[in-house]
Amino acid sequence: MEDNRSNTPSISPAAIVVAAVFIVVSAIGINWFTSFVPVVLPAQASAESKSVDELFYILVIIGGVVFFLIQGMLLISVIFFRARGDDRSDGPTYHGNPLLELVWTIIPSLVVVFLAVVSFNVWSQNSEPKAAVNMINGEEIAIKVTGARYAWTHTYETGQLDPDGDPIVINSGDALHTYIGQNVDLELRTQDVIHSYWVPAMRVKQDLLPGNPATGGRPTEIRFTPIRVDGAEYPATYPIVCAELCGDGHGRMRGTVVVYEDEQQFLEQFYDPAIHAILNPPADPVLRGEIIIQEYVCHSCHVLDSLGWTSRTGPSLNGIADRAGERVPGQSAEEYIVTSVWDAAAFVVPGYTEQMAQFGPDQPDTYQMDAEQLYSIVAYLCTQGEQSDCDLENSTTAIPEAIQTVFGLEVDITFGQGDDEATDAEV
Amino acid sequence: MATIAVPLGGQAEGHQADAVQRPALSEYLRWSVDHKIIGVQYGVASFLFFIIGGAMAMLIRLELWTPELDVMVSGAAYNSLFTMHGTVMIFLFIIPMWAAFGNFVVPLQLGAKDMAFPWLNAFAFWLIPPAAIVVLLGYFVTPAEAGWTSYPPLSTLFSGDGQTLWALGAHLLGISSIMGSINFIVTIFNMRPPQMTLWRMPLLCWAVLATSIIAVMATPFLAGALTLLLLDRVAGTTFFDAAGGGDVLLWQNIFWFYSHPAVYIMVLPGMGVLSEVLSVHSRKPVFGYRMVGLSSMGIAFVGFTVWAHHMFTSLQPELRIPFMITTMIIAVPTGIKMFSWLGTIWGGKIRFTSAMLFALGFMSMFVIGGITGVMLAALPFDIHVHDTYFVVSHFHFVLFGGSVFAIYAALYHWFPKITGRMMNERLGRIHFAFTYFGFLFTFFPMHIVGMLGMPRRVAVYDEAFANWNQLISFSAFVLGFSTFIVIYNIIRSYYRGPVAGANPWRALTLEWATTSPPPVTNFADDPIPFEDPYGYGTEASVAYLNAVEAAFDGRENRTILD
Repeated sequence: MEDNRSNTPSISPAAIVVAAVFIVVSAIGINWFTSFVPVVLPAQASAESKSVDELFYILVIIGGVVFFLIQGMLLISVIFFRARGDDRSDGPTYHGNPLLELVWTIIPSLVVVFLAVVSFNVWSQNSEPKAAVNMINGEEIAIKVTGARYAWTHTYETGQLDPDGDPIVINSGDALHTYIGQNVDLELRTQDVIHSYWVPAMRVKQDLLPGNPATGGRPTEIRFTPIRVDGAEYPATYPIVCAELCGDGHGRMRGTVVVYEDEQQFLEQFYDPAIHAILNPPADPVLRGEIIIQEYVCHSCHVLDSLGWTSRTGPSLNGIADRAGERVPGQSAEEYIVTSVWDAAAFVVPGYTEQMAQFGPDQPDTYQMDAEQLYSIVAYLCTQGEQSDCDLENSTTAIPEAIQTVFGLEVDITFGQGDDEATDAEV
Repeated sequence: MATIAVPLGGQAEGHQADAVQRPALSEYLRWSVDHKIIGVQYGVASFLFFIIGGAMAMLIRLELWTPELDVMVSGAAYNSLFTMHGTVMIFLFIIPMWAAFGNFVVPLQLGAKDMAFPWLNAFAFWLIPPAAIVVLLGYFVTPAEAGWTSYPPLSTLFSGDGQTLWALGAHLLGISSIMGSINFIVTIFNMRPPQMTLWRMPLLCWAVLATSIIAVMATPFLAGALTLLLLDRVAGTTFFDAAGGGDVLLWQNIFWFYSHPAVYIMVLPGMGVLSEVLSVHSRKPVFGYRMVGLSSMGIAFVGFTVWAHHMFTSLQPELRIPFMITTMIIAVPTGIKMFSWLGTIWGGKIRFTSAMLFALGFMSMFVIGGITGVMLAALPFDIHVHDTYFVVSHFHFVLFGGSVFAIYAALYHWFPKITGRMMNERLGRIHFAFTYFGFLFTFFPMHIVGMLGMPRRVAVYDEAFANWNQLISFSAFVLGFSTFIVIYNIIRSYYRGPVAGANPWRALTLEWATTSPPPVTNFADDPIPFEDPYGYGTEASVAYLNAVEAAFDGRENRTILD
């Protein structure tokens, strides 16, 4: 019953003219659209971004053809095939054309095969493991990223040892430092929920998956190689974004990739000073605390003007020392701050919910904090206020006593023997 | 014109009265096993949820007017807002809205007196209000804030009781969906008139059949996933907790094994509507009827093999390629439909009714969702735009540009049959213009902010995207405003619209061969369908349509009694 070709609708010459015009317009349109590409994608800052963007061009061109074809035919239909005036009659009884149906099944199938092959090639090329990753001073080192609500922490396992024989690990907080041509290979772990590490300028993204801590977690991997971007000033910075919903502060879970021009600049401006600072921590606990507190995820939830923190998930730390003495009856300012850092659930500031992670000597990864680090952080926080409730004169005894009282731990306050002036200048 | 004897069957009997009695409004508020009452119950309830979900969307866009958090009190409050928006729109609006049109139209198109299981039909509907109350109540305890996808461990170890209520409510809605679908499958296979083979069945029935098969096969997986989630939340199990030997990807796999096919649950009925509306309003048979029907089945089948493309950034890298290929294959049956619809209107005599405008709008917008769907399937590009506004844009082009446009087309097309009165066409055209342009300028720019680096589900964003977001929010408010036009049109037309008569569009399918609204038993006796549901343009079809008109609308004074 389908075949009824005698009723084939005749196509007017005008429709053919319109079709020709349409082809020209769509060619111009696609050309214009592809010239628009640099505006709709971020800078091409990695080797991977080049091939991904080439794939994007192909997709946009094919998509553009389909788009203009369908919209064009729709437009032609609504212009030429509208019932005019009082025309109440029906259209031609035309049930289909098997050949045409075959054509519009086979051509899209071929296009799909083509796109699959092209995508597969780009994928194989980009996901191929590279030799010589994370090269620094001619050696491969491990660079690890930890995602914890709501901050990124980057650590460089330098492979060097400090005078006590402990490995030197650089913690660069939410910044990843790299240089043009370095084959970056990051090991990603999460401490809580799923996060997703996305560097738009590099066109790479990988989820961080919770694993069993007892079996070493469930590390995932992300790879890219920074390349030179024309017109960029080095060191250049690109955002890191969390792309998987992780809770209240998801939108603020951001970081920065710092790309140096070459390894030399990377060593001079980041790597060597960082190692120097670790080997020569300031003697003043307040200065030490100011460095240490920035290695933790505190900034992801708290406001603290002196360090430029803006997140409002947790209570503000501005002037914390002015309030600390009156928060909990019977607790001194030092005791309150000590308790709040390691055991935040003990007192939840009115208007906020119990969300803060546990910190302490036995906590995992980026929540791990020993008594000496706690001491430095509390010493720093005690200076945040106009008339601090803390006993600033005797902080070297008052804070260790508070830690002793609350958690029963001894603090070795002699760590940190460095030259304050020198470190201060470099940080 | 030659007079041709047209057998109408018994449907022409028993309509000697001058007036058509509409069900009293109170009928709609109580238990009824009449598929037409249930259809309207589904429709009105879903539309209310559309308004609620839409109001939430307006709040979302208000928050995103600036890059900072200013409307909502916290990021968590914003998270629960879009969680509810997604949940309400998917589970309480689109899916039940198709049950509304399916319920009202499918038995009529089959010439049946009701669905196969009328009581089950009513029961499936009446699960929705309590489920909705449970889900919405969750918003007022400690609300779910893990998105409608509810990925653990955010939805297990890190959220409050609202998440438990969310899962319970979704469970009930799943049960409702399974029962409704079984009913459709049994009805479509068993209750056709003898003259109507499967290959003479209207394409809406084909689409509802494909949809129901998907729903029956996929929804139990949602039930399984939700059960595990509930056990993790309330019974201390660790299915999704790695520390206890569980796996977070287990949820993603099961959830998307349901939720990807669920996309087709939401779109396929719309495609069925398109086939009906385009054919009727361009007065031309559906081009390539068999391929259109079969492509629904093809989409349903391939739709089960693509779920892990939602997990391209979490899946093991070596497993990603196969899912890229299956996902791209879906474009082929979808393309067949698109081209067949173009073939349908090509050379026709298009009437620019509101229903037709929305059907054309569907084609114009859905094609963009289809193109970006293939782009997202291309794994290397997806890695860049996964979980960004590009994806938000893509699925709104599919679910709004697709499903909602089709829902509006269906509304304007079948409103006369449901209420007996015509909708106001002028208001319909204004509604279309606001919806089309509001939609386009809301969602098209989202592609760009996504590619530039804006992730989805954030209340705060980089200042560089502020101008784009203001354009998007402004357009969203226009789109939101357009809803008031159709609400006004529905209410006004229900009371004041011109009387429609049995077959205002002169359509050949059986739902038009009875009064508007149809009597309780739909047809006085077994009706005889026209030989070809889309055989427009033949003398026989004209004779059939004239006979229908003479049988039902020949009287001078047609009136609607409330």
